Amino acid sequence: MTDSASLVFVVDDDDSVCRALARLIRSAGYRVETFGSARAFLDRMPVDACPACLVLDIQLPEVSGLELARELDTALPIIFITGHGDIAMGVGAMKAGATDFLSKPVSDTDLLGAIAQALERAVQARTIRRELDALRARVERLTPREREVMALVVTGLLNKQVASELGTVEQTIKAHRKRVMAKMEATSLAQLIRIADKIGLSGVAQSRAQR
Amino acid sequence: MSILMLGERGQMLMVNPQTARLFGYECDELIGKPVELLVPALHFDSHVRDKAGMFAAQECDDRTPLHELSARRNNGTEFQVEIGLNAFHFGDENVTLAFMIDRTERHELERIRRDLAHLTRISTVGQLASSLAHELNQPLTAILSNVQAAQRFLVADRIDLAEVREILNDIVQDDFRASEVIRRLRAVVKKGDLEVVSLDLAGIVRDVVMLVRSDAIVRGTSVALDIEDDVPPVHGDKVQLQQVMLNLLLNAFDAMKDVPAVDRVVSVKLMRESRSMVCIAITDHGHGLPADKLDKIFKPFFTSKPQGLGLGLSISRTIVGMHHGRLWAENNIDRGATFFVALPVGDATDQDESRQRP
Repeated sequence: MTDSASLVFVVDDDDSVCRALARLIRSAGYRVETFGSARAFLDRMPVDACPACLVLDIQLPEVSGLELARELDTALPIIFITGHGDIAMGVGAMKAGATDFLSKPVSDTDLLGAIAQALERAVQARTIRRELDALRARVERLTPREREVMALVVTGLLNKQVASELGTVEQTIKAHRKRVMAKMEATSLAQLIRIADKIGLSGVAQSRAQR
Repeated sequence: MSILMLGERGQMLMVNPQTARLFGYECDELIGKPVELLVPALHFDSHVRDKAGMFAAQECDDRTPLHELSARRNNGTEFQVEIGLNAFHFGDENVTLAFMIDRTERHELERIRRDLAHLTRISTVGQLASSLAHELNQPLTAILSNVQAAQRFLVADRIDLAEVREILNDIVQDDFRASEVIRRLRAVVKKGDLEVVSLDLAGIVRDVVMLVRSDAIVRGTSVALDIEDDVPPVHGDKVQLQQVMLNLLLNAFDAMKDVPAVDRVVSVKLMRESRSMVCIAITDHGHGLPADKLDKIFKPFFTSKPQGLGLGLSISRTIVGMHHGRLWAENNIDRGATFFVALPVGDATDQDESRQRP
């Protein structure tokens, strides 16, 4: 059986199709929630509690599947299903961030395969997101001055250069730098640079701006 | 028109030159000959005298004062004529005046009109083909997923029979749904005799709106239905009135293809207009029609669409006219246009003679 904590959302305006897809997905051991419209699904968001993916009909009345995908903005992997797919629509779907594009009627192996892949992606995305969250939390612990120091240190400047940049002496920068390393739980400059890389220098700067 | 004066036994006393020409004789050749020579089914029986001068083979019917019979030319070819008979006294003799019109042309015209209407119906349905495919695809999708879900449930250690039962029920429902799509489609493309029956317009309107449902979704258009309660039935042919509705709805969709998606709404209203009339109003929010085109659009071969035949509206108007109703267009005060179909309430329509469905 597959990870039972995983959740699959199905959005299709056709009640009967919704029910049938839900059964098929449930038969593979996933939990399923169905929605008759894009709006109903948006009302249910956010969906961050567990790895999840979305099986989405492109032709929906009011808010279409593509519009919903754009709105979600890669918040979760999307498998598009459509009754009459053409190349243009497929391209549109992929641009909107689809992980898969299947045509109706969809066979169990195609759909369940696509779901397994999408969920794997969701798990990876969650791992990355968690790691990022943890790193950002560490950045939050830095004082504004320590942030400035970190931002400059990771660009490869020597302590001396950082000091002149910030209008202070090397000794002070050395002390700041030690605290930055401790708070960021980095054991080497290389590690600190990798962290800065992951959250982005702007991540460091943005946090500073928020203060 | 050919005119003949017939004696008591059906012998031709006088014929006009048109008669001779129509049948390929000289006038003199015909005088004294029995009228059966020209119209074999026109039997005169001197012992029986009825109002029109003994028309034994044909029943006289108030609704069909004209008889349609086949006539034979000098060269043996047959053709249809319409005959009116009037009996009167001429001196001591009972004579019958017969009027005949060549029906061939009218028949031909009617046949062409019928074929044309059928063709437009087919081409209209052709426009719908992709959305009808979608309409069939939905139940097929549900059926496939249900069956495959059931197959997977059945290999489980503990089979959930309740679930399997529900699945089977859903499959049955979806099968009905698919055949309903086919039924509606078939009803529209059917070519056959006109069937004038008492019709529930609300049902017709709903059927056609269902037929275009996925077409509307694909085009990002929604249809708002507003059907008054207790709209009385009308007399008419279901397929023909469906054709009119279908045509007007698709036109409304087309009229709005350039407007922003939020405005793409077609409202369909069915209401009682007066004691004797009911009215269907189909309102779009497109760009409306130039004032000088409001009536031109109903002329044959008038079209604003590159792929259009320009026959939809003209045939729709003919159909509505045959139902003793009226079809017209008006621009809305704010934007777009409304097409109105006014039809007489049930009893107001004479039960037409059975015509052929176009």
